[in-house]
Amino acid sequence: MKKLLAILIATVFTLGAGAVLADKYGKQKVIYHVNYKDPKRQGAAMRNIQNHINAVGKDNLDIRVIMHSGGYTLLTRANKDLAVQQKVSNLKDQGVTFNICANTLRGKKVDYKTQMFDVDEKDIVPSGVAEIAHLQDQGFSYIRP
Amino acid sequence: MTKEQTFSDEFLNAFVDNQLTAEEKSDAFVAISRDESLNRRVCELRKVRDLVQLACSNPPPPPTRSYTVHRSLWARIGFRSIAASILGLGMAIGWALHTTTPHHNPNSPRVSALTSPVPIKGIKVLLHLNSGDPQRMNDLLDEVENLLKFYKETNQVARVEVITNGGGINLLRADTSPNPARIKQLYRDWNNLVFIACQNTIDRLNHEQNINLVLLPEAVVIDSAVAQIMRRQLQGWAYIQV
Repeated sequence: MKKLLAILIATVFTLGAGAVLADKYGKQKVIYHVNYKDPKRQGAAMRNIQNHINAVGKDNLDIRVIMHSGGYTLLTRANKDLAVQQKVSNLKDQGVTFNICANTLRGKKVDYKTQMFDVDEKDIVPSGVAEIAHLQDQGFSYIRP
Repeated sequence: MTKEQTFSDEFLNAFVDNQLTAEEKSDAFVAISRDESLNRRVCELRKVRDLVQLACSNPPPPPTRSYTVHRSLWARIGFRSIAASILGLGMAIGWALHTTTPHHNPNSPRVSALTSPVPIKGIKVLLHLNSGDPQRMNDLLDEVENLLKFYKETNQVARVEVITNGGGINLLRADTSPNPARIKQLYRDWNNLVFIACQNTIDRLNHEQNINLVLLPEAVVIDSAVAQIMRRQLQGWAYIQV
């Protein structure tokens, strides 16, 4: 009985702490800007996003990963490398949006249908930089890991 | 009596804080525009004052980046610094006059808007470059061009400022710029584009490496890139690191 009570109290405290955390941050809208091709740095960005979700909760977050310039390689790597693909998929499952710049696709001559992982036409924005400027105007915070 | 003695720190502080009579102020403007060392002293005072204001304003973050929020914010900190901003413009003009053959007219709206407290209409984007990597510089120029074309094609009024400090200033140095011709062309094609170099970086290169830096004629110098980035974000600009 005592044990049960202890578990119950512990549960209440844990839930309470979670609620406090969510209250602390509220809802957040965040841009993650990826314009570099360094795989390590891209990996670190994916980890940052996961940690962000863990802290704030996926239901409280609208995360947009905006890729342009060298950043497009994140999804061409994901096309070949299952470990990268897994990370991208996991984030997508938690509501993260991945957007890619049309100028970059044109400039680097990349076919998004065959060379990139899971890119739909709606994921393509006319200009990555303009998209970032627009989102900041809509109240999104800007992070470049 | 030398000018240094005529204008005490107390007097200059009053000038920076806009506490002089109209007559004193106009005298001061004339003297400052003629005397470079005086000009520097005022600039230093202004910089300190601006940084203090920025540090102290520290408002609670607005729920959204609406323009009204920023305008009221500006109203709180801005009007006191109108005199200082005009002075900043004077600095920019002074600087432009003693650099070699500037293509741009410092009185043109695109340069004067750098320090003007008047809110700028339309989309406002600040692109920040602090890396000397030539690949990134070339990417930046591509992005600037694509961005300006995009806004033009979609009939949106926009202003784009490229601000450089640290290694990024290499973009605008006559001896290191990866593509001066392209910068010239972009500057001619787009009157809503400004290239900015940071005075602090120029001074640092001079002290540390004895480099007497010559900038491309398209570049405009501003006292501190970091202070400008802070000002622009407070004014509701989008900030993007390249």
